[in-house]
Amino acid sequence: MSAQTAGLGVAIALVALGAVGAVLLREVMRVLISLGVFLFGVAAVYAYLGYPFLAVAQVFVYVGGVLVLMVFAVMTARRDRSERPAFVSRHDVGSAAIAAGTGAMLFLGLRPLFQDAGFARSSAVSDLAQELLGPRLLAFEAGGVLLLAALIAVAAALRGGEDR
Amino acid sequence: MIALGLSCAVFALGLYGVLSRRDLIGVLVSVELMLGAGGILLAAAGAASGATSGAVQSIALMVLLLAAAEAAVGLSLLLALHRRSGRTRVDELSEVSG
Repeated sequence: MSAQTAGLGVAIALVALGAVGAVLLREVMRVLISLGVFLFGVAAVYAYLGYPFLAVAQVFVYVGGVLVLMVFAVMTARRDRSERPAFVSRHDVGSAAIAAGTGAMLFLGLRPLFQDAGFARSSAVSDLAQELLGPRLLAFEAGGVLLLAALIAVAAALRGGEDR
Repeated sequence: MIALGLSCAVFALGLYGVLSRRDLIGVLVSVELMLGAGGILLAAAGAASGATSGAVQSIALMVLLLAAAEAAVGLSLLLALHRRSGRTRVDELSEVSG
């Protein structure tokens, strides 16, 4: 088994284990740890496909930012009750059936587009810079405006008020 | 094809979490799973179609940016709800139901 195949196997295992744990575990800190494993796995898949900058951005933004924010939110708004176990009600079984059907439909619908396995033709960061400062400059700037709007929305939502 | 199967499975897991979870943090985590699955699918489709690396990475970065903004706003709403009512479960939040 080549090192590349082993790397892909590890990445897929991280993604699968993290996703299953994040959905099926009920203790909230374990859920967040599973989410961290999943996000690292996604970064590894990006790197395997030939997008190293995307992998690094994924780790910085998600594992270093969003996950820490979630841990902070859980510490602030501590839950006083644990969730019931998975698959104990008819609602859970129905949800699982809907989710499985949607996943299968997506797989069957998109399968013709993925006949050829491929990797990125180039992993140079200069390609990304040319793309962002060239044809996608407007989208890049709009992304910055969106982040500013999100920052203002966060400040407005949390403005004033005392803890209950 | 492996990436397609993986992303569809993760998307389905995330959808199950959104539909079955009662805790707002759990719902947000499930949404993050669905966005991660979309990112994997986007990168794999770009690689399979022979698109330029810059184009694929720039579009995936936009998705990453949207997901980060969504998480920040969602968590701030969760904290605001907790400060206002002390509850973070979706089945206990009925203030807007009229």
